[in-house]
Amino acid sequence: MLAGMRRGSRSSYTEPVTSFRLLVAATVAGLAAGIGLIGASAATSHVAARTGGGIAIADGTQVRSLLAGVPQHGTVLGRADAPATLVEFADPQCPFCGMWARTTLPVLVRKYVRTGKLRIDFRGLAFLGPDSLTALRAVQAAGLHDRLWTALELLYDNQGVENTGWVTEPLLRLVLDTAGLEPAAVLRQVDEPLVSSRIASAAREAQQLGVPGTPFFRLGPTGRTLTTLTVTSLDPPEFEAAIAKVLGA
Amino acid sequence: VRLRLSIGMLALAGAGIATYLTVTHYRHIAPICAGGGCELVQRSQWATLGPIPISVLGLAAFVAIALSVLPRARTAVFGGYAVALAGALFAAYLIAVQAGQLHAICVWCVASDSVTLALAVLAGWRALRTTA
Repeated sequence: MLAGMRRGSRSSYTEPVTSFRLLVAATVAGLAAGIGLIGASAATSHVAARTGGGIAIADGTQVRSLLAGVPQHGTVLGRADAPATLVEFADPQCPFCGMWARTTLPVLVRKYVRTGKLRIDFRGLAFLGPDSLTALRAVQAAGLHDRLWTALELLYDNQGVENTGWVTEPLLRLVLDTAGLEPAAVLRQVDEPLVSSRIASAAREAQQLGVPGTPFFRLGPTGRTLTTLTVTSLDPPEFEAAIAKVLGA
Repeated sequence: VRLRLSIGMLALAGAGIATYLTVTHYRHIAPICAGGGCELVQRSQWATLGPIPISVLGLAAFVAIALSVLPRARTAVFGGYAVALAGALFAAYLIAVQAGQLHAICVWCVASDSVTLALAVLAGWRALRTTA
């Protein structure tokens, strides 16, 4: 009986101790795993944070590789003597402009711009809201350094939701830095007369043409009257066919 | 039973949120978002751990915690508590990153982080009760 009581008391004494040890072990394991996760996250984020100031953007490798060696002058991408010209009216906030920039522009650059057959001229509009104008001014200021297309494509790659204040100064700094520019110098130029006149001129042209929305395209032989390019899809085939037709003419 | 049920329900809610964020990640679409910070947060460098989206890690953790309420075994109790505790620490860090680094709030992420913190409290309480 006494032995039984002893066994019973030892059993009820041992279980809480074991449970307590398990609790301690689980706490230590949980804390270690949590700290490990934080450390891993901080370590992998640190690389981008060095250049990003805490704002994350796509690293720009694809954009820089796409545009490397392609001439840029002001608002124009491609050689000045390219036989065909495509004018793009676009708002930096417009999601379809972003889609076109990510899907069709790379095809056109590789096939026609890089080979000297096509030049693309940007007409920046800011009709969607305040973020459009902030972005557009920065992009046009990058154009003063012949990096408009690099900055624009990087911005499209990191496009946020319309008018949520996504076009912040840290974002612009990072985009301009990734574009190979000195952000502070470019941001000081966002109110330059040439920046303002290019924006005003594009807005006037869009009004005269009755641009219904963006992206909107005009295409034709360089130096001659361009015609509106009506497409049913923003995918490459219709653009390629239209450009081939101009080049063949 | 009520405690286990609460943990299970919360973990399933967390798994639902994590599933949604995982789907938006892999389909490259912006989450439906009040406040507009979701896309920025979801596209940030803190949204993945190497090649793995944080939402996938969250989903795995929520499923593990949900499963831990099914058996009464102490290993399940303490295992669930350890996962919830690790998740809670990481969730607190992610909330701090949103507020301090990104200056953007992803409501889905905050909801998921809040669920994780609540789960850590409940799983901790369950573990303590098992010890007593």
